[in-house]
Amino acid sequence: MSRLRLATAWLGGCSGCHMSFLDLGEQLIEISDALELVYGPLVDAKEFPEEVDVALIEGAVANFENLELLQQIRNRSKLLISFGDCAITGNVTSLRNFFSVDDLLTAVYHAGPGSAPRSDEADQVLPELLPRVLPLHQVVEVDAYIPGCPPDPERIMAALSALLQGQTVQLSEEQRTFG
Amino acid sequence: MSKTITIAPVTRIEGHAKITIQLNDAGEVADARFHVTEFRGFEKFCLGRSYREMPSITERICGICPVSHALASAKAGDMLKGVNIPPTAEKLRRLMHYAQLVQSHALSFFLLSGPDLLLGMESDPAKRNLIGLIEAQPELARQGIRLRQFGQEVIKLLGDRAVHPAWAVSGGVREPLTADKRDWIAARLPEALATAKKALALGYEALQRLSEEAGCYGSFPSLFLGLVSPDGGLEQYDGKLRLIDADGANLEGDSDPSRYAEFIGEAEQSWSYLKFPYYRPRGHEGDAGMYRVGPLARLNVASYAGTPLAEQELQRFRQFREGGGPVLGSFYYHQARLIELLYCLERIGELLDDPHLLDSHVRSHARTNNRVGIGVVEAPRGVLFHEYHLDNDGLLNHVNLIIATGQNNLAMNKTVLQIAKHYLAGSRLDEGLLNRVEHGIRCYDPCLSCSTHAMGRMPLQLELYSPDGGLIQRLERSSSPPLDSRK
Amino acid sequence: MPAITLTINNDLISARQGQTLLEVAREHGIEIPTLCHLDGLEAMGGCRLCLVELQGSSRPVPSCVTRAAEGMVVTTHSDKLVEYRKMLVELLLAERTHTCSICVQNNNCELQTLAAKLGIDHVRFDYLNQQLPMDASRERFALDHNRCVLCLRCVRVCDAVEGAHTWDVRGRGSTSRIVADLDRPWGTSTSCTDCGKCVQLCPTGALFKKGATVGEMRKERSFLNRILERRRLAAQGGTP
Repeated sequence: MSRLRLATAWLGGCSGCHMSFLDLGEQLIEISDALELVYGPLVDAKEFPEEVDVALIEGAVANFENLELLQQIRNRSKLLISFGDCAITGNVTSLRNFFSVDDLLTAVYHAGPGSAPRSDEADQVLPELLPRVLPLHQVVEVDAYIPGCPPDPERIMAALSALLQGQTVQLSEEQRTFG
Repeated sequence: MSKTITIAPVTRIEGHAKITIQLNDAGEVADARFHVTEFRGFEKFCLGRSYREMPSITERICGICPVSHALASAKAGDMLKGVNIPPTAEKLRRLMHYAQLVQSHALSFFLLSGPDLLLGMESDPAKRNLIGLIEAQPELARQGIRLRQFGQEVIKLLGDRAVHPAWAVSGGVREPLTADKRDWIAARLPEALATAKKALALGYEALQRLSEEAGCYGSFPSLFLGLVSPDGGLEQYDGKLRLIDADGANLEGDSDPSRYAEFIGEAEQSWSYLKFPYYRPRGHEGDAGMYRVGPLARLNVASYAGTPLAEQELQRFRQFREGGGPVLGSFYYHQARLIELLYCLERIGELLDDPHLLDSHVRSHARTNNRVGIGVVEAPRGVLFHEYHLDNDGLLNHVNLIIATGQNNLAMNKTVLQIAKHYLAGSRLDEGLLNRVEHGIRCYDPCLSCSTHAMGRMPLQLELYSPDGGLIQRLERSSSPPLDSRK
Repeated sequence: MPAITLTINNDLISARQGQTLLEVAREHGIEIPTLCHLDGLEAMGGCRLCLVELQGSSRPVPSCVTRAAEGMVVTTHSDKLVEYRKMLVELLLAERTHTCSICVQNNNCELQTLAAKLGIDHVRFDYLNQQLPMDASRERFALDHNRCVLCLRCVRVCDAVEGAHTWDVRGRGSTSRIVADLDRPWGTSTSCTDCGKCVQLCPTGALFKKGATVGEMRKERSFLNRILERRRLAAQGGTP
């Protein structure tokens, strides 16, 4: 059987879901034969590869780079999974939605010397912020959800085991709470 | 014709970033920049909330060092309440803090930088990662994973979850430690120590093998800032702020951390969401006020380590000084991290022997008594400041967070420039260079999730710009074609 | 009380005259989800989670305020009802900003538990992202409107059990808000006795003890039936 081509991605979030993924610990070694990690913050691929079997996406869609990457991931992945509360609900990342982007940048910058990142130069290098942080399923079709902030390793393993056996992700009632 | 090279995303770091390198007409490196491309706005949306929620809210800044945020936040809360926390609470907070330093440093060494150090800077990018390391050196990879897991498990034993525990609170901690949990930690400690020693040996080996890198990856004079214990020893949880210059002179005396704003300022640049903290008296122009924080800075500012094994290693580390000043090369962050890892494990051992570690009085109760609270700890990547101001009802009306990684922003930029200048010849871009430049950033183990003003993960992309600003060449690391074949 | 017979989910079930469909169902171990309902408080049919289908009725009815009657044919669980219930909870999650991960009631919350039970793993509606204030002006307790689901348990218990009637509701629809003393900061309320009954009955983290940190708020509700039982005995002239 060919190895499952797994990609992970980190959009607007804290990386806690990826840390929880690493908390699989030695189970990672056990499943490393069955899967290939083809993209993500833990590996060096700079471009999202073609023909990914499963993409675990942490974080919400917060800027245009997130948006483009997510669309690319959708086009190139068989299954796209919202991984953790930020991806599913916006969670803490979306608390900035209370304010306009302009108000936020004004509040955070222009406090010290130098030029705040709001100029033409910024536009060329820095991705523009979306007016509102969005959960993934409001941007692309999502195939499964793993809630939690972060989802604990047991939830992640339950989902991965199902995927490795070619089944759909069905978490139990206890394993699908937010928070 | 001049060009700009862009490296994006920078990978195997904890955040979202790009690097651009500007070439002049002669094809030489003229400038290089490290751009942090994410923005989250915590300081704004926390306003109106209760400071008691802040340990958990600010944990969501970063999944790698949530414990640091929780502790800095809880300490700011202690000050708002005006309480002394029970001695056992401080011991338990330290225990969790050391555990976090262990997991974070193990993550950096084995999983993020390890593939470069152990498999080679120019090894196959498709295998230069955790899974590649598992294949190439399964036993070592297992030990590294178990060492990180040890730290995570200790956090979970104390706080009920390994990532984002809701445990440290203003006034102390929520739950005492039980004897069986302490015994579990004690049983696993010897293995952790053995792995840490092995990592140290591998680190020295890498330093010998990579002496060229050590000489040019961020090797320049700068100031260093870190906490020290009341008598000047290595410290991560509480103490005095010590700022030294490149010759080791103590510039601010050992000052109370709550005075930080008197000498630390934050500058901004239009091309990065990450701010640029600097030492105010020297200004932000021309890197004059540049200072470094993190493991290298902590070892540089400390007068001594204070635990037997780490003390020996610190003496050995001091030999990397030239002429008796602080160690100036950022490549030595790796080794400093490993020494600190050993130190934290030794401290954990001491705490486990403490007869009062299991006491049940772990929380002081009080109402809000002060309007300003400042909490400072040494996060794995450097000193972390949380400052809260309250309104009449005890809700937040001003929040300032200065994150460890931000304080290395000036130095990271300078490091990228230095590496590019050293290795980029004849504007030939290749995979090895790309990874070297990225590794310059990895030395700092930056936690861009943490820089609330900016944040993200770092994919690496390299762009070459002409003098008039036109994009000439863009290199993105993909899994397939070698980079230098695309012209 | 005269007995009646009705059909629930194809089973013939006997009930007492005057009982609500919710009471009958629960007596027979049929679980119908509720949020605003609480034994001891007057039923109000507000959250609509307890909707059931009634043969002969074109639309579902709230079981907490519908009396059982002879010959009724009731369905408590159908695809349509399950979908309605999911939708209702999703709308609640979208309307205010609950953010379970940083809530004082994380892991002890009725709304959170209900969502998981109903199989909600994401919300299909747009989040409103309206920032509402937190009222922390009272010394011991606080109210975070962002987490309020307008179940009105606080209003009902304050009026009917404590007898203070500090709480009421202002506005309509999604702009509705719980208010103290005709919309003053809670801290300036003169009617509030600081008894904390509203806090204990609140199903989410909207009402909480001020010192509580994230995930720390536990609600203790056994007092309600104990008080009511003692009052009932006292009214009958018995010794409480």
